[in-house]
Amino acid sequence: MEKKERTTNRREFLKVTLGAFIGGTLFSCSLSDLKNPKTMVKTPIRTNILRPPGAVPEEHFAQKCIRCGRCGEVCPYHCIKYFDVLSGGVFSGTPYIDVMEVPCYLCMKCVHVCPTGSLVPCAKEEVRMGVAVINRQVCVTWQQNKTGLMCKTCFNVCPFSGIAIKIDHDFRPYIVEENCTGCGICAYSCIADQYPDNNGQKAIRIEPIKWKKIKEIKLEDIKKS
Amino acid sequence: MKKSAWKRITWWRYAFLAFCFLIIAVNPFLNYHWDINFVQGWFQSIGIGNLWVVSPLEGLESILTAKFFYMPSLVGMVVPVVVALLMGRVFCSWMCPIEFLSVVTDKFLGIFSKKLKYRKDLISLPHKILWFALTTELLLTMVIGYPMFVWWSPPGLVGREIMFYAFYKVITVEVWIVVVVLSLNLFTRRFFCRYFCPLGALLALIGKKRQLVIKYLPDKCINCKVCDTRCPMGIKPSIGESQTVYCWNCAECVDACPTKALKFIWRDDGVIRLKLHNELTTSSTAGKFSSTG
Repeated sequence: MEKKERTTNRREFLKVTLGAFIGGTLFSCSLSDLKNPKTMVKTPIRTNILRPPGAVPEEHFAQKCIRCGRCGEVCPYHCIKYFDVLSGGVFSGTPYIDVMEVPCYLCMKCVHVCPTGSLVPCAKEEVRMGVAVINRQVCVTWQQNKTGLMCKTCFNVCPFSGIAIKIDHDFRPYIVEENCTGCGICAYSCIADQYPDNNGQKAIRIEPIKWKKIKEIKLEDIKKS
Repeated sequence: MKKSAWKRITWWRYAFLAFCFLIIAVNPFLNYHWDINFVQGWFQSIGIGNLWVVSPLEGLESILTAKFFYMPSLVGMVVPVVVALLMGRVFCSWMCPIEFLSVVTDKFLGIFSKKLKYRKDLISLPHKILWFALTTELLLTMVIGYPMFVWWSPPGLVGREIMFYAFYKVITVEVWIVVVVLSLNLFTRRFFCRYFCPLGALLALIGKKRQLVIKYLPDKCINCKVCDTRCPMGIKPSIGESQTVYCWNCAECVDACPTKALKFIWRDDGVIRLKLHNELTTSSTAGKFSSTG
């Protein structure tokens, strides 16, 4: 008799624990999020916050990464940063690059130390961290009628200048999206924020995209993300 | 009678703990200020030159959630798994930074009074909770779809906080997990390690048939029960529990025993020999009744 009582108690305890767990999970995310499981955990990746080179697509990245921090420790420019639990939730400890602080100089050291294949070794020109987007309303060269300035900073600093950034017949820069690695050196060194009319806005920003092979990237993907 | 310092295994353990802690504590500063990249990472995955070591539970979680086998991480898991197979939970007692910090806090409290140093365990739960913690951890990881233990594992967090401090001059809120785990030690020594550490549970599971065990010699024992009070894991070597899964081979009891009734041995009737031995004995005794095999 006594034994029976004990088992029912344990069963009740398990029931309550399981119920509390499920209830808590349901409570913590709204109904519309539940329909699509991928949106239950929102990515902290925003504009200009990118994964290191060679990162697998964003939906697999936080699952593969074991937060060992080796990529950040080998980075000679200290450009790789980490989310903490306040800014990233379950993404805490995953690496990112804030190109406005320090851009990635594509030394490709981090991809060779990743132990779980979150960063896949690839060539420099295959890196697709994001894509640069020129804001033509802010760019001083695109507004050369108004500003009277001709700046080629982004073209000069780009590691693939002439391939990823080209200059058109009016000496205005434009991005070839298929070739842009998204390293962010152009966005970092853009001087448009020095121009008084721009209120400190940079003319180039990096939009994150999904990591794909060089030939698979389409403009739609970039616009979607 | 007290053994001289270099003969006591516990002192070697403390030295090794400090050495392992120094590696992960000094290395981020070396990386940051002098660009010495020979060693990277901490105990979730540490890279020494070209040798990769990946913690088994973190690697397992990564595989479970990503559903993808990545060869380098599997190869990196070989070293800790082999160590655990041979020696059980020696990572926990001889390398883990949490254990180092626990020992330091224990010694620090011991300065004030002996009562604090050899305090009693206020809460003692059944050791089987360890397996519950491991399964819950893995299930939760698979339900949510993101590896859980990788971002709140206390041994990993110690390394990460040091690295964060060296690189970004910040200490994140996760440091409170480490503080809570350490302050739980005030109630029960190694409370988290005993009952709730999934990594320890996995290592214990791997090391179930380990070769290095603490052997209990009943004919030398004088029933003083010193070993029971000293064992930080709350198991009782005096009734032969030192060979169970829950023992983490820290050798506190070996040093505490006044009559040397406990000692480290490489199990001479190891896995292979045990089988042979069993076969021989069973065939010799069973041979009278049947002649199979």
